[in-house]
Amino acid sequence: MSLCVTGLRRVTSITFMASQPPQVDSTPRPRYARRLVLAGLAACVGVIALDSLLFRTGFYATILEPDSSTGLFEMILRREQAAQEYSGAPMVATFGNSRFAWSAKVIDHRPGFHKYALRNAGVAGSDARAWYYMIRDLDPTRRRYRALVFGVDDYDDEDRYYNPNDDIRALHYVICRLRLVDVFEFARSFDSRELQFAALRGGLLKGIVFQNDLQAFLANPRKRLAYVRQCDRDWNTWIYDFQETTDSMVGLKIDWTTLKVTYPPGANDDQRGTVDNFLAHQPEPQIGRMAAFQRTWYGRIIDRYRGSPTKIVFLRLPRGPAPRPGNLTHKLSSSIREMAGRPNVILMDEHAFESLEQPELFRDGMHLNREGIARFSCMLEDEVTRLLEGAGR
Amino acid sequence: MLFNTTHFFLFLAVVLVLFYTSPRFLRRYILLVASYFFYGSWNVKFIPLLLTLTAIDYTAGRWIERTPPGPRRKGLLIVSLSANLGFLGFFKYYNFLASNLCLLLGKPPKSFFWDIVLPLGISFHTFQSMSYVVDVYRGKQKAVRDVIDYALFICFFPQLVAGPIVRAREFFRDLLDWHPPSGDDVSQGVLLVFFGLTKKMAFADQFAKVANNYFAHVAGNPGWHAAWSGVIAFGMQIYFDFSGYTDMAIGMAKLLGFHFPVNFRRPYLACSITDFWRRWHISLSSWLRDYLYISLGGNRKGRWMTYRNLALTMLLGGLWHGASWNFLIWGGYHGGLLAVERAVLGERAISDKWDWLYPFRAVLTFLLAMIGWVFFRAADLTQSRQVLAQMFSRTYGRNLLTPWHVGLILLALGLAVAEEKLNWFDRVAKAPALVYASALALMFFCLELFGVIDAQIPFIYFQF
Repeated sequence: MSLCVTGLRRVTSITFMASQPPQVDSTPRPRYARRLVLAGLAACVGVIALDSLLFRTGFYATILEPDSSTGLFEMILRREQAAQEYSGAPMVATFGNSRFAWSAKVIDHRPGFHKYALRNAGVAGSDARAWYYMIRDLDPTRRRYRALVFGVDDYDDEDRYYNPNDDIRALHYVICRLRLVDVFEFARSFDSRELQFAALRGGLLKGIVFQNDLQAFLANPRKRLAYVRQCDRDWNTWIYDFQETTDSMVGLKIDWTTLKVTYPPGANDDQRGTVDNFLAHQPEPQIGRMAAFQRTWYGRIIDRYRGSPTKIVFLRLPRGPAPRPGNLTHKLSSSIREMAGRPNVILMDEHAFESLEQPELFRDGMHLNREGIARFSCMLEDEVTRLLEGAGR
Repeated sequence: MLFNTTHFFLFLAVVLVLFYTSPRFLRRYILLVASYFFYGSWNVKFIPLLLTLTAIDYTAGRWIERTPPGPRRKGLLIVSLSANLGFLGFFKYYNFLASNLCLLLGKPPKSFFWDIVLPLGISFHTFQSMSYVVDVYRGKQKAVRDVIDYALFICFFPQLVAGPIVRAREFFRDLLDWHPPSGDDVSQGVLLVFFGLTKKMAFADQFAKVANNYFAHVAGNPGWHAAWSGVIAFGMQIYFDFSGYTDMAIGMAKLLGFHFPVNFRRPYLACSITDFWRRWHISLSSWLRDYLYISLGGNRKGRWMTYRNLALTMLLGGLWHGASWNFLIWGGYHGGLLAVERAVLGERAISDKWDWLYPFRAVLTFLLAMIGWVFFRAADLTQSRQVLAQMFSRTYGRNLLTPWHVGLILLALGLAVAEEKLNWFDRVAKAPALVYASALALMFFCLELFGVIDAQIPFIYFQF
C-alpha cells in the first residue's frame, strides 16, 4: 500500500518529459559513457583474443573433424608440408577439385626414372580462391616447387548457373589459413552482401565458422581424438592405396541438338545427375563472371610467383565421357589463355588428354574411373616432365 | 523484428541515438513512433487494433476517474474489460471454442473455423491495459491525462510483445518523472541486453534444437532417457528463452531510463511450486494474484475456497498462455500442486531457507515443473500422454543431451547459485571497467561458440 501511495504522490506531481524544465544532466553522464565505450572496446578485443587463442594458434586445426571440409583441407596441407621435408626429387604440386584425380601409386609403380615428385594438393569441391590461400602457407618462400599444376575444366571461360564468387564453401576450406589482415579482402571477394558479412564475421571470429565442429567435438571428445589420431597415422596410406570404382558410362549417348540423354543401363542417381548438370545442361547467359573469378585468383597466384623459379602450369582436364561440343555455348573469353602470355605460365596442350574422353574411362558424367585414373596418371607425369624439361631448356 | 537480429540492434541503436540527441519534448514521441514502427514491422495490420484498445482504455480511465463510485463507474469498468477480453477472446480463443462446440454438436471440427491471425503480444498488452483500468477504478492509479503517455505505456517496444507486464504506476513513475539513467543503470542495462542475448542464442536455441527434435519425433525416440532429456531440454529452452527476452527488455528499458520489474528469479532453484511461481514470470503471477486471485477472495474465505481460488487462478493462467486443452491442463496441474502444497505444507511451502533438505526439495520441484512442461510443449493431448508414458516407462532409450548440453546446464546452475548467494550480476555491473569488459567478452565468446546465429528461432512467448 505504501508503494501505491508513493506512486500516487509521484503521479500527482506530474512533470511530463515534455514540460520539464531543461536539465543539464539530460543524457547518461559522459564519464559512464566513456567507461562503457572503453569496456565495450575491451570486450571486443577480449573476444578476439580468446578466439585467437583457440583458433589462430594452430592448435584447433589439429583436432578438426578429418571428414569435414576444413579438416580435409588442413590434413592435405599438413601432408604436403610434411612431404617437403623428405622429398628427394624436385616437387610438382597439382591443385584441383575432385575431377583432377590421379594416383601416386600408379606413377610410383611405373618403370623408369621419375624426374619429378608429383604431389596432389587438390581438395574435392575447392577452387582457385581456396588454392591461393593454401599455396601461400604451403610455399611461403615461393621456391619449394618446380611447378604448380592447375587442372581446369576448360581454357575458355564458361559461366554456369552458379556464381563462383559466392561459393561459401571457400570460407570453410580456408578458415584456418585466413589471417586478420586477409579478412576484409576475403570478404569482399564474395558478391552477395549476406555472404560478405558471413565471411567477414567468420574471418574475424573463427569460432563462428568452427561452431558445429567444436560442438561435435565436445559431444564426444574421446571419439574425435581417436579418429584424428587414426587419420594422422593412416590417412596417407588410405589415399595412396585407394582404388576408384570400375563403374563406367558405357552406353551413354547425348543428342546435343535436343540435349536428350540416353543413360547407361542401370545408371544410378549420381551418374544421371552429373551427366545432367555437367554435360547435358542448357547454356547459361555468358556475363563474364567466371572470367573475372579466374583472372582474380589465378592472377594472384601468378603474381605471387613472379620472379620465382616455380612454373605455373594449366591443363585441361578430360572433359567427360561425352564431351560437350564447343558450339553449344558462345564463350566470350579465355582468361587462362590470356595468362599464358605472362612469364612463368605454361599451358599444356589443350588436346593432351582428349584420348581419355571415353565412356569406358568415366565412372559418372565428370569423374574418371579406375582405368581412367590409371591412364591419366601416366599421361600426366609424361606431360608434366616433357613441359618442364622444355621450359628448362 | 526479433530481438536477436542485427536489424533489431540497428533499430535499437537508432532509437537510442535519436532519443538522447533530441530535445526532451520530442523524446516520448520518438519512443512512440519507434514502438509503433517496431510493432508494425511484424504486421502493420494490427496497429489499428492496438490503437483501438489504447483509445478505449484511455477514455475508460478518464471517465472512471470522473465518475463517482456506483453502478455507472462499475459499468464503465465492465465496458472496458469486456472490450479487452472481447478482443482477446476473439483473436485467441474463438477457434478453440468453435472447435469444441463442433465436437459437442458432432459437426466436422472446422465447421465454424475462421482463419484468424493472433496479433502479436495481445495477451500481454491487454493484461497491462486492464490492470491500468482496474487500478484507476480501485483508486490506486490516477488516470493519465495525455493520450501520448498512455499510448506509450501500452506499446513501449521493449516489453510490447512478451512483457514483462508492467504496472501503470511503475511505468508512469518513470515516464512522468523521467531522469537520465544513472551510470549503474547503463552498465546494468548493457550487461542485461547481452546477458539476455546470450541466454537466448547460446542456451535456449541450443536446447531448442534438442527439444524440437524430440517433440517432432516422439515415437522415434522411445524410452525414459530420451523422454526426460527431451523434456528437460524444453524446460531449459523455455527458461533461457523467456528470461533471456525479459533480461533484454529490462536492459533496454534501463538504457532509456525506465525500470521494469524483475520477471525471473532463478525459478529452477525453487524449493516448492509455490516458490517456483514467486520466481517464474513474476509479472504475470503477481498480476494473476492481484487482479484474479484476490478478486476471487484469495485466502480470506476459508481453506477450501483458498484451494479453489488457487486452482481457478492457475487454470485461467494456463488458458492465458494459449487456447488449448494442454494449456488448461498445465494451469490446472500447477493450480492443483499449489493447492496440495498449501494443504500439506501450509506456510512452510514458501520457506526458501537453504538447509540440508533444500537440494532435495529443489530437485523435486524441478522434476514436477518438468512434468508440467510436457503439457505446455506437446502438440496435443495425445502427444502429452505419449511423452508422459515414455517418461515413466521402463525402456531406457537414448540420451538426447550431449555432454556439452549438460555442461551448459551445470554452468547455468553454477551462475544461478552464485547469483542467489553472491549477487554477482550487480557486482559485475558495478565492478571496475576491466572486470566488466571481461564479463562482456565471456558473453560474446559464449555467443560465438554456442549462439545459434543463422537459424533465427523465434522467442517462445512471442506466440502468446
